[in-house]
Amino acid sequence: MGYPYSHENEVPILSKYFGDPEARTLNGWKERGGYEALKKALNMSPEDVVEIVKASGLRGRGGAGFPTGLKWSFMPKTKASAKAKVKPHYLLCNADESEPGTFKDRELLRWAPHQLIEGCLIGAHAMGAQHVYIYCRGEFFEATQVLAKAVEDGYEAGIIGDDVLGSGKKIDVTVFAGAGAYICGEETGLMNSLEGRRGEPRVKPPFPAAVGAFGMPTTINNVETLAAIPHIVGNGGEWYRQWGSEKSPGTKLFCVSGHVKRPGNYELPLGFPLKDLIYDVCGGMIEDRALKAVIPGGSSVPLLSAEEAMGCALCYEGVVEAGSMLGCASVIVMDETTDIVHQVMRMASFYSHESCGQCTPCREGTAWVTTILQRIEDGRGTEDDLDTLVEVTEQMTGTTICVLSDSVAAPVQSSIEKFRDEYLALIRRGERLGTA
Amino acid sequence: MSKIPFKNPGWAGNVGEYDLTEEQVRGIDFVGVRPLEGGHAAGSATYPYMLEEKDPEGPLFEGPYQARFEKILTRYPTKRAALLPVLNLAQEIRGHVSPQTMDRVGELLELSSAHVRGVATFYTMYNKRPVGRHLVQVCTNISCNLCGAEDVLKAFLHHTNTEMGATSLDGAFTVIEVECLAGCGFPTCVQINSRYYENVTVDEVPRIVAHLRDKGAGLARSTGPEGEG
Amino acid sequence: MAAKATKVDGADGVTLTIDGQEVTVPQGTTLLQAVQGAGTEVPHYCYHPGLSSPAQCRLCLVEVEGAPKLLPSCTTTVAEGQVVHTESENAVRMRRGVLEFYLLNHPLDCPICDQCGECDLQDYVFAEGREHGRGRDAKRVLGRDDFGGDVLFYGDRCVMCTRCVRFMEEVEEKPLLTVVERGSRAVIDTFFEQGLDQAEWAGNVVDICPVGALVSKDFLHKARAWDLDHTPSICPNCSQGCNIELHTRDNLVHRMKPRTNPDVNGHWICDYGRGRYEWLNGGDRLEAPVMHAGGRKTAMGWTAALEALKARIDTLGESSVKAVVSPFWSNEDLGAVSRLTQALGGGAVVFRSPRADEEVELRGYEGLARRKALAPNEQGAELLRCERVGDDAGQGGLEDLAEHDGVVLILGDALDDQPEGFAPNAALLLYLGAYTSSALASAEFQLPVTTFAEQEGTFTNHAGRVQRFWPALSGPGTARPAWLVLGALLGALQNEEGPSSAEQAFGLVANSVESYRGLDYETIGAQGGPSGARVPVAGD
Repeated sequence: MGYPYSHENEVPILSKYFGDPEARTLNGWKERGGYEALKKALNMSPEDVVEIVKASGLRGRGGAGFPTGLKWSFMPKTKASAKAKVKPHYLLCNADESEPGTFKDRELLRWAPHQLIEGCLIGAHAMGAQHVYIYCRGEFFEATQVLAKAVEDGYEAGIIGDDVLGSGKKIDVTVFAGAGAYICGEETGLMNSLEGRRGEPRVKPPFPAAVGAFGMPTTINNVETLAAIPHIVGNGGEWYRQWGSEKSPGTKLFCVSGHVKRPGNYELPLGFPLKDLIYDVCGGMIEDRALKAVIPGGSSVPLLSAEEAMGCALCYEGVVEAGSMLGCASVIVMDETTDIVHQVMRMASFYSHESCGQCTPCREGTAWVTTILQRIEDGRGTEDDLDTLVEVTEQMTGTTICVLSDSVAAPVQSSIEKFRDEYLALIRRGERLGTA
Repeated sequence: MSKIPFKNPGWAGNVGEYDLTEEQVRGIDFVGVRPLEGGHAAGSATYPYMLEEKDPEGPLFEGPYQARFEKILTRYPTKRAALLPVLNLAQEIRGHVSPQTMDRVGELLELSSAHVRGVATFYTMYNKRPVGRHLVQVCTNISCNLCGAEDVLKAFLHHTNTEMGATSLDGAFTVIEVECLAGCGFPTCVQINSRYYENVTVDEVPRIVAHLRDKGAGLARSTGPEGEG
Repeated sequence: MAAKATKVDGADGVTLTIDGQEVTVPQGTTLLQAVQGAGTEVPHYCYHPGLSSPAQCRLCLVEVEGAPKLLPSCTTTVAEGQVVHTESENAVRMRRGVLEFYLLNHPLDCPICDQCGECDLQDYVFAEGREHGRGRDAKRVLGRDDFGGDVLFYGDRCVMCTRCVRFMEEVEEKPLLTVVERGSRAVIDTFFEQGLDQAEWAGNVVDICPVGALVSKDFLHKARAWDLDHTPSICPNCSQGCNIELHTRDNLVHRMKPRTNPDVNGHWICDYGRGRYEWLNGGDRLEAPVMHAGGRKTAMGWTAALEALKARIDTLGESSVKAVVSPFWSNEDLGAVSRLTQALGGGAVVFRSPRADEEVELRGYEGLARRKALAPNEQGAELLRCERVGDDAGQGGLEDLAEHDGVVLILGDALDDQPEGFAPNAALLLYLGAYTSSALASAEFQLPVTTFAEQEGTFTNHAGRVQRFWPALSGPGTARPAWLVLGALLGALQNEEGPSSAEQAFGLVANSVESYRGLDYETIGAQGGPSGARVPVAGD
């Protein structure tokens, strides 16, 4: 159920125990049906577990939307009889939630840590991983401590460690705290950070399933993805498909923020109309003002104008049809008082601050784009600057190791295309068309 | 589950009108007091940082901290991988990561000091210079920005009488602007030391500042997420 | 080392099309190497054949048909049937865009930058960049930073290719350089004041820096790159025999740069060797043959000098020879001394050479170190049956020789540690040297010879590898190579023609040294030729 507000349209699977302090404890979780899926998975072969996940059609919830079952099947299989030295396999849980507008992983960590741990253990079993690292962002002190305590309880109860639930398998879990870098949410950046280096993304190929953390086969999944695993494995793949669409099955935690009356996390089936999310589930706009723009998937995806938002269905293919991308489903709602140029500038300065600095287009380009936008905001921009912005962001797309620099292109290009009058007002008359 | 919509308690003082106590929301009731030597090795790396500057000339890790350091080392296949947790631990003791600290950590983990410097400067949470007792980190990224974060930031600067990034004269506050704290549903989100203050509005800022100024004086070492109030 | 696009048959090779041309390369070759093998070059910064490939400069992007994005050619391996376009519209446009970003904060200080003329940024922008930059905002300024040792860092010019960081980490295995901060605030730096003081191979970062961000303090503002002549040579400062280029202008050596040789030094040379070239530039040189007879010194031409010398030797008859040579002189020169010694009745040839206490290894490159023997041709001298005498400072050891009453022949060694009037009892004191010598000022014959930098020849390194060098300077006055002088003298004594080229002189040496069987200038080439078993040199 949603946090801090709930709504009847929700389908609480992952968020069922948000706001329930008992659910954090090991016994509380077991009373609520926890660790049954793990028992079931341990009695199945790893390949069968992967098949269930494939059948469910679960897609990565960290923003990329890559089919999880397919990702899991990339890990090298270890034959039970192989006497040869087997490389250690790792499962990494990406709890480095830094995408602006996203706040679902924090709730999953602090209200249902055992759900995540169970998902990690099932995943480790399915992929032959011996060690699970849960990489939490450094700012999540409270959530990390709750998770660490849950892990410790798990060790004490024999759920994690040398003999997981008596199955003879050895799976270790370590909670790793980051130190404040958005780029460490990128999978290879996370691996570099875990290895004690600067969190700079690596070039792919080689892919993590071949050469990952410490040079070993690694799979990395988002918190929400792994939190869904116990439910999928427990209830079966087909069960998960009763919600959502063919290409986007299941439920998703939507993080709604901005100018709505009831911002927060809401777990809804994929395909839910954006219009209903804003006006029904979240209670409408603050002071019933008019909608100006919506960002449907975190700051890395293009803006949607108000009309596009009204016709948008919140699933992976639906948002693409409307002209944006679902990303991590962080809906940022902007009303008529919003100063679009200022917000785009703030997003560009975020990317400039967080760029790792390896690739020149990103390192120089993000700073340049921010400077131009600041200049436009100060009233010293020209119309050539708009063309420069579009061309420069075009040059930054597809030329870098990771997609941070592509992410700058999205808000800049879409806002210039759809809200050109805001820019022109500032350029021609120094006039802002918004206040926030 | 209760059907009453509740607001996340911002900080002590709002408890009572809500379904859940502050300890329950923050998980303090579940986590309890963490032992100084780090408890189980799996989570020993995850403590909050402390902002009292301790003796910069003494040995970096002693006693329970040495025990914690050794636990951290057991969790990774290479010593280099322990660098981030160990820098966190060093910052917890010393309040910030100075060149001497970088050198010492490099020695302990058999890494070159230049590598440690490269890593420490890459991540924003390692303080390169001493900060005030309360490090006020105001999120001004888009979701909070839409709900007045920049005014909250200005209010903090005004009421603590500091400039951005500088420490107040009484050593109590340092105010900085940070990126998204993942509390976007509770604008404006402010993190002070290890604790999230949610739904902070301009009107609440003077109360928070006064509260911290009083509570903060003569602060003892933090042993849990709530140590510094 | 760049893999050449060799013609491989059958299953091992991969055939692909690059810019319309079909090439076959070994499996595992990267696209960038394949393009290099096909004769063109893809612009790149962060790739270097001696280092890892992080693919972060984003300049080597090429278009591969069927791939959704442009691929970095330095890490993409070849696949059968790939069709690659390095000059397609997409690739050119993308490179143009990336180059614009490189120039965004670049100070464009070519007029005062040492790298001008040999700068990859200049070359690439001139070939493919935009005519005008579009940045209208102030550029970031980082200033100049002294990294210690010979290295100066101009942060504004840096393109963040991190070749220097990776060299220090992977090749020297002393990670003294790092990237500090992130994003547009990123800059290369050391650990505060620690600098590069502990590094012994740090000069290589100046070589591999593609722009003028890392420059040599020694070379700062000394000469323009296009004024310099490049001559392939061998480093004379230890017995590793690193292949180098001597860069000269106006008959002065201005710097030493490494020359790639995978069997000897890869792409690297050490700081010790790199910094010691000044001795080739100056000193008090002998400029003309001088005969000292009857209290009078007469300068002469070569013909007269050789005639006088021949006459003098004829009057001596049989007498034993004791010779001192220098391991800084070539095999051809030493071989000539050896042959002359034998022809005059036999005798002993010795040499002195400086030695260090320790080797300085380059840990990340196997087989490369600054050797203890601080001279280039100790092994060559030993193979020619010369004996090392004296101490590790290259002094002493000549007590016996100083008393000799036969022929005393000195080649190269200026006997700086000996008092004036060396070998007073010698029947004939003959000094063939480059430098004036106070100990030998009264030698009966002083003949000016060239240093190795002024002649063609070979050195034999510690592992027995014979390597050629070419003349980079012209000797002063009428100085000639020692092999030519002694060869002419011997020829006159034996009524034959002496060798008229260094190649012939080497042929004569190869005849007398078993290990050099089968070696000649052609087989040695520019990369050297390994010889047979090496003689272990004491203290090596």
